[in-house]
Amino acid sequence: MNLNQKRLIIAGLAVLFLLSLVLVQWMEVIRRQQEAGVGKPHVAVPASSRACVDCHGETTPGVIDHWKGSKHAVSGVSCFECHQAEDGDVDGFSHFGSQIATVVTPMDCGRCHGEVAEEFQRSHHAKAGNILASLDNFLAETVEGARQPFNPHSPTPGKAVDKVNGTASAFSGCQQCHGSAVSLRSTDGGRLSMVDFQPDENGKPTVTEAVARILRDDNGKPLFDSGTWPNTGIGRLNLDGSRGSCSACHSRHDFSPRRARQPENCGKCHLGPDHPQKEIFEESKHGVAYRDLKEDMNLEAEDWVLGEDYSQAPTCATCHLSGHSRNGGKITHDPGQRISWTNRPPISLVMDTDAEGKIVKSLDPAERESLITDTAEAKRNRMKAVCTHCHTPSYVNAFYSQYDDLVILYNEKFAKPGKAIMGVLQAQGLLTPTQFDEQIEWTWFYLWHHEGRRARHGASMMAPDYTHWHGMYEVAERFYMELIPEAREIAMEARAHGKANAAQAAEAVINGILARPEHAWFEEGAEGEMRAIRKQMEERYGQGSNPSGAGG
Amino acid sequence: MNRKSLALSRWLQERIPVSGEQLRELTNEPVPHHLKRWWFALGGTPAYLFVVLIATGISLAIYYQPAPTTAYESVRYITEEAAFGWFIRGLHKWAATLMIASVILHQMRVYFTGAYRKPRELNWMVGMAMLMTTLMLGFTGYSLVYEQLSFWGATVGANMAGSMPVVGGLLKQLMLGGAEYNARTLSRFFVLHAAALPVLLVLLIGVHISLIRLQGITEFEFEGEEPPKKHFNFFPDHLMTELMIGLVLMVVLSVLATVLPATLGPPADPLTTPEVIKPEWFFYVAFRWLKLFSGTFALLSTGFVVFIMFVWPFIDAWVRRRTRYAEASVWIGIVAVLAILGLTVWEALVAH
Repeated sequence: MNLNQKRLIIAGLAVLFLLSLVLVQWMEVIRRQQEAGVGKPHVAVPASSRACVDCHGETTPGVIDHWKGSKHAVSGVSCFECHQAEDGDVDGFSHFGSQIATVVTPMDCGRCHGEVAEEFQRSHHAKAGNILASLDNFLAETVEGARQPFNPHSPTPGKAVDKVNGTASAFSGCQQCHGSAVSLRSTDGGRLSMVDFQPDENGKPTVTEAVARILRDDNGKPLFDSGTWPNTGIGRLNLDGSRGSCSACHSRHDFSPRRARQPENCGKCHLGPDHPQKEIFEESKHGVAYRDLKEDMNLEAEDWVLGEDYSQAPTCATCHLSGHSRNGGKITHDPGQRISWTNRPPISLVMDTDAEGKIVKSLDPAERESLITDTAEAKRNRMKAVCTHCHTPSYVNAFYSQYDDLVILYNEKFAKPGKAIMGVLQAQGLLTPTQFDEQIEWTWFYLWHHEGRRARHGASMMAPDYTHWHGMYEVAERFYMELIPEAREIAMEARAHGKANAAQAAEAVINGILARPEHAWFEEGAEGEMRAIRKQMEERYGQGSNPSGAGG
Repeated sequence: MNRKSLALSRWLQERIPVSGEQLRELTNEPVPHHLKRWWFALGGTPAYLFVVLIATGISLAIYYQPAPTTAYESVRYITEEAAFGWFIRGLHKWAATLMIASVILHQMRVYFTGAYRKPRELNWMVGMAMLMTTLMLGFTGYSLVYEQLSFWGATVGANMAGSMPVVGGLLKQLMLGGAEYNARTLSRFFVLHAAALPVLLVLLIGVHISLIRLQGITEFEFEGEEPPKKHFNFFPDHLMTELMIGLVLMVVLSVLATVLPATLGPPADPLTTPEVIKPEWFFYVAFRWLKLFSGTFALLSTGFVVFIMFVWPFIDAWVRRRTRYAEASVWIGIVAVLAILGLTVWEALVAH
């Protein structure tokens, strides 16, 4: 090789090297753009899903566009990776040569996110469907609707209605949060759920007779019962036996962590008259700070660790689920891990739980000790580890003291007495066994299920108006002005109809409750209390304060 | 030459009294003609990569923080956040990999061509010292990442050193700065990796090149080749060859750093031993050997092999003097290379 040839080769190599540096610069620019949230990340479509993406890009472009914005798309996790089905899956069908299923369950997500799926299966969220055997269920399926379809009573102009679906409220209401039992249509006109298929631990059905009854379309695709699917309720019962729905929080098909971190995401279900957690959060100082500082909260961060990635304000996820600097950034998918009271039942219970996550209700200390595997104190300490990122331990402890006092006040002054009154009326046969067919049953339901919860949830998340005016004020009004008079009236009616003993037993409970010091003002008057309060206020704020007597 | 440049030349001559002639003589040593063959230029490759490693290493040291609480996070910062950090780290990683590979190739070339024989025995030993220093640089460098595998790799390495008879305890103590891996171990590795070992390597390179210059490059003649002239000029002919190799290396490094960038595993967790511990690829051979035999035997035999490698020129001379098998070294070399390759591939293929 002569010198001139060498010179030419060197020049060529130098250009190549410069080009490689240009490539590096280009990659750096793209990386910076992605970090700053501008510019589109590279989408990797694996060969297994190329046909899906091409076709659905035309037929359902929204799904594909959404997916293209996901982390899945960048990591090469595409349609088939999640929707793939195996032989024997009851909802599997061949779709242009690929065996797929429509519904992606936590068992499917667990193929990659195994630990998360397992933790979620143990969570209270995954068991949200269990409440559907409660008063709420009876309300939706019987009181609001009907367990059987019934005939319409007059024509609907422009719409041929031959049957009224009595479970419509349950399907569109309760089950869209709590989760349906996803079902396939049966050849005999019924529906087939996991209860019929009895899937094994791998999600495969064990009842072949039920599989044989699946109704399919001409292409062999199983047909879903439209009441139970579409459904993203968090306690959904899936055909493979898994519980819950990851997309309840991680909306498909972009599965945006940013969205899951925002309270609006939880607000699909945690709102309204019976558990207005979303509204309570918005009223609290936490919510006020979040609205103001949301843009600085680094919601796009990879791990989003409190104390490292942000500390401006908390969201629902921050306190109940996300990782923080004191636990190594470990996220939990079981929100019950950090909750020390359950305010769901009429009387709040301390969250001392057994190995299965059930609350231990025994009063025997030895039995409690043997059964409890995770104490409420431990759960509270986990929450405190979050709180203390912004608050001192003494501040946090004093807050919990205020919260405990409010819950205990509600329990002792209204919940336990209310339950005792309803109990004696039922025990004495003064109420029918049917719920919600008597006014006092609605009164009691409003008291604990709506107002009582609002008061307790309000105190748990520092929303004073929900604690007081939407909460304890309405509880008290409902108790004194409706529950007590209605209970007394039932007792009087009973006496008038010859049930003196039953009436006497009920009155004894009512009177016993009202004779307690905390209720004495109602029967005996409380002029002295008023004077004492006025005097205390005048001492505190000066003579003539609040002359109108108005408050609130 | 115009008047101004003449004046400048004179000014420089007065302050640096070296004439152009002397300079030309110093740098323009005649290069044997066989160096026109590419594989004879492999000696310059590690030197070139070493320069790349120093440059990228200095850049990395700007951000790296050698303490257990900060090391992993600083490497993550370099990889994910610092401008061009991923590229610099990728270059450093691949330059190290290629440097070790080219050192091994260079040593194989020297071995199989018998270039270590009299009077170059000492330079072979200097080369062996350079190989050991390079391997130690690889070991300490990987440990600095402080990810789970690198932490456990370092721990296993220290324990291996510790199981050596007599000096093991002291050696492990020196490596870790205590009986166990502790808060001061990383800074020890960092000083070794970024200061002590590079300085040692620079000195060894100085000795290595000086001995080459003093003894001249081994001259080879090839069958069927009539050398028209025995030598060609270092400048600019051989320099251009080296420049070409350097540019090819730079392009290769750039491509490797972008296509296969340096990754970052889970952070070190001293309480959880990973199921599979693997060192860097260049230690696979020793790792497999250690797994095949009991600790002390494996260590002593490894030490013995390294010792034999160091003194090989003298053994070879003795064999050549005493026996008829003048080229026995070639066959021994082939067996050794196959053994090294076999053990390395074996370790790479198995999970445990």
